[in-house]
Amino acid sequence: MATVYNWQIGRDMSYWYPQARPSKQFAMVFDTNKCIACQTCTMACKNAWTSGRGQEYMFWNNVETKPYGGYPQAWDSKLLEVLGPQQWNGTTYRGKTIFEAAPAGERSVGIQPDDPDYTSPNIGEDEVFGQVEKGLKVIMPHTPWMFYLPRICNHCTYPSCLASCPRGSVYKRPEDGIVLIDQGRCRGYRECVRGCPYKKSFFRSTSGISEKCIGCYPLVERGLQTFCVQNCIGKIRMMGFLHTPEASVPDNPLDFLVHEKHLALPLYPQFGLEANIYYVPPIHVPLPYLEQIFGPRAQEAVANYKAAWSDPEVVGLIELFGSTDRIMNSFKLIGDEAVGYNASGAEVVRVPLKEPVHLRAAYDAALQVERRSIT
Amino acid sequence: MRFVDMWKFVHDGRVDVYLQRIIDNSSTLKGYDFDTLHENAKQGIPALLMTRTTPKSLGYEQIHDNLPWYTKTGRLEFYREEPEFLNYGENLPVHREPVDGTPYEPNVIVARAHAFIQPEAPTAYGKAWSDLSAEDRQVRNRVVAPDALASTAHPLKAQSFTHVFITPKYRHGAHTTPIDLDMVALWFGPFGDIYRHDKRMPWVGEGYVDLNPADARALGIEDGDYIWLDGDPQDRPYRGWTAASTEYKVARCKLRARYYPGLLPGVARSWFHMYGATYGSVEGHETNPDKLARNPRTNYQAMFRYGSHQSATRAWLRPTMSTDSVARKTYFGQTVGEGYEMDVNTVTGAPKESFVKLTRAEDGDPAGGLWRPARLGYRPGYETAAFLQFLRGEFVEKV
Repeated sequence: MATVYNWQIGRDMSYWYPQARPSKQFAMVFDTNKCIACQTCTMACKNAWTSGRGQEYMFWNNVETKPYGGYPQAWDSKLLEVLGPQQWNGTTYRGKTIFEAAPAGERSVGIQPDDPDYTSPNIGEDEVFGQVEKGLKVIMPHTPWMFYLPRICNHCTYPSCLASCPRGSVYKRPEDGIVLIDQGRCRGYRECVRGCPYKKSFFRSTSGISEKCIGCYPLVERGLQTFCVQNCIGKIRMMGFLHTPEASVPDNPLDFLVHEKHLALPLYPQFGLEANIYYVPPIHVPLPYLEQIFGPRAQEAVANYKAAWSDPEVVGLIELFGSTDRIMNSFKLIGDEAVGYNASGAEVVRVPLKEPVHLRAAYDAALQVERRSIT
Repeated sequence: MRFVDMWKFVHDGRVDVYLQRIIDNSSTLKGYDFDTLHENAKQGIPALLMTRTTPKSLGYEQIHDNLPWYTKTGRLEFYREEPEFLNYGENLPVHREPVDGTPYEPNVIVARAHAFIQPEAPTAYGKAWSDLSAEDRQVRNRVVAPDALASTAHPLKAQSFTHVFITPKYRHGAHTTPIDLDMVALWFGPFGDIYRHDKRMPWVGEGYVDLNPADARALGIEDGDYIWLDGDPQDRPYRGWTAASTEYKVARCKLRARYYPGLLPGVARSWFHMYGATYGSVEGHETNPDKLARNPRTNYQAMFRYGSHQSATRAWLRPTMSTDSVARKTYFGQTVGEGYEMDVNTVTGAPKESFVKLTRAEDGDPAGGLWRPARLGYRPGYETAAFLQFLRGEFVEKV
C-alpha cells in the first residue's frame, strides 16, 4: 500500500500503487438538470463498442433513474450498506474509502454482482421516492423526487479495477488518463468487476476476459469527443481534460466548471477513487441524498447553478456543450458569442449566448413568397 | 407512365432535383439552394426554416399584423352556434367526462345549469335516461353540476372495475418503430432482460401496467406479477367473445404490473407502443421451445404474451368531433372553408383510455413468489431498512 493524495476527499489516503498522475486527465461534465434519460448515449455506445456475442448485457454507458434505478441493480446502495454510515468534516472525508475499508488480504471492499443483477437495466425508470398524493404542490426540493443519472467509466485517478487486478492487466494511459484492460493479458478473474464500485468493468463469457469503457480513445487521440458526448441530444455532456485544483487553468472548460465555478461534482467521492466524470447536481433533489451521492459541496453547486444565468461565462460555456464534436481545450467570450478552441489554439466552434430572434417580412417580393407562422 | 418514370431522377442518382422542387414550392424554404444547404450540413452549419419569425411564434400575424384567426368570424370564438353543438350542449365551453375512462358517470356534460345549455335528452332519440350501454352513451347528453359529479358512478363499478386506464405515448417512442429493435425493447420499461432468464417473457422486454402501490396491494397484486386487464365486457376484448374460444385467449390482455408511486389512486397506465399478441404470436409462445411470443411462420414478434393494452380500449365516435359544419383552415394554404378536412374532422376517436378490472394472474418470479427485485427489497413498497437509509441519504453525515 502507498500513500496518495486525493483532492476530492481533501486528504491523503492509502492506495495499492504509488501516485502516478497522467500528463492529461480525460474527464467529462454531465449536467443532470438537462438529462431526459432518452438513452441515446447508451445506444451510441452500444452500437460503437458492444454489439458482439457475449456483450449483449453490457452497457458501458447507461442512464438510470435515481433513487430506484441501478445498473447493475442496487450497485451503489449495496456498497454503501457494506461501508456503513460515514462522515465528512467540511470537505475532508473522515470516513473510510473502499481501499481503507478492505478486509485483510483484499485490496478494496467490493461486491460481485449476481448474474440477474444485470437484468432490467432500466429498473426504477421515472419512479419517485415518496407517493404522489392528490393536491400535491411542486416545491423545491421536490417531494416526491427522482432524477436521471447518466453513467460511464469514471477513468479514475485511483482506479479500483486497476488496483484489484492480480495480473496487472488494467492500466491507466499516462498520455490521457484513460483506463483500459489489456485484452491480451486479462485472464478473466473478474477481480476488476468486483473491485470497481461503479460496476463499469464487465466479464464477457464468450471470450472469458473482461472489458470496459475505453473512453473512445481512437476518437480522443484525434481530438474528438466520445460517441456518448457527440450523440447526446440534450447537449448535457462535455468531454475534455481536467487538471488538479491547484493547477487549474481558468479558461479550460472542465477546470472552469469543476474548480473555478464549483458547479460540477464527482460521483461518490467517498469511495476514494478520484473519479473523473463530474455532475452538475439536480437542483430539485433533497440535500441529504445529493450529499450522499455527490459529496459535501452539493449545496454550493446547486446554489451556483441556480445563479448561473447571471454569469455570461457560465452561460456561454453551457451553450458550448454539445455544439461540436471537437475537444475544446479552452474557451472565451467574444461579444455575445462563446468560442471554443482546440489544443493548438485554433477556433473549433462559436455559439451565441442567446438564441437570435429573426423577424421576416410577411411577403418577400423578390422571391414572391409569403412567410407565415402557420403554413 | 410507370413508377420508374415518376421517379426518374431517383434512378438517375439526382434526388437533389426533387428536393430543390420541394424547396422552391415551400413558403418556409423558398430561396434556399439544395446544394448549398447540403454542403453546409456536412460542415455542421444548420439552416433556419423561414417562418414569419424564428423561433416560431404562433399567432404573430394575428397579433401584430391584424390578420384574422382561422375561424368563421376571424376572431377567437368561444361560442359554437352550429346546430350539432346546440343539440349536444357543447355550444359553450363545457367539460365532458370521458366516454369510458372515468370512475364517474361516463360522458356527462359537467356544467352548472345555464340557459344556453339545453341539449337534446336521450328520449329525443328514443332512448331511456337509464341507458348507459357502451354504444348509446357516446351520444348521451346529461348535464351534471361539478359538485354533483362525485356522487355519480361508472356502471361497471358494481362489477369490481376499479381503474381509469390510460395509454399515453412513451416519451422516447413514436408509434411502434422504436421498439422494433431488441436493444430498445430491453430499455423500454423495467422488465427488460436480454437473456430472458424468465421464459414467460414474450420478448426481451414486455408490456406492463403501472399501478399506485396502495391500489395494487388492495387488489392483492404484487410488484412484477402478471395480471389480467379487462375492459367493458360488452364489447371488449371484442364484441361477442366467449371465454372458451381461441380468439378470447389471444385477445385478453395479460401483462406485468409495476408499483409506481407517481400515480394517483384509481389510475393505471400503459404505454401504447408495444406490439400486441396475434394468433401466430400466441401459437409461438405456447409451442416455441424458447417460448418466444413470435409467429413461427412470419417472425412477427409480440411484446405481450396475450392481448395488448388495446384489448381494453376502443374508439369512440363523439358527434361534435365529427361535424361537417364547422369552419376551419384548409390543411395546406391559408384559406378557410367548411366541412370535411383531414386531421380536423376525421373522427378523433383513437383508442386511448377506458375503465378496467385488474386481476392477479401469476407470481412475478417464474419459480413462484415475488419478482426478484421486490424480494431483494429494492422496489417501492418493499424497501429493506438499508435501502430506505439509502433513499433518505443517511449513509453520509456532515460534522
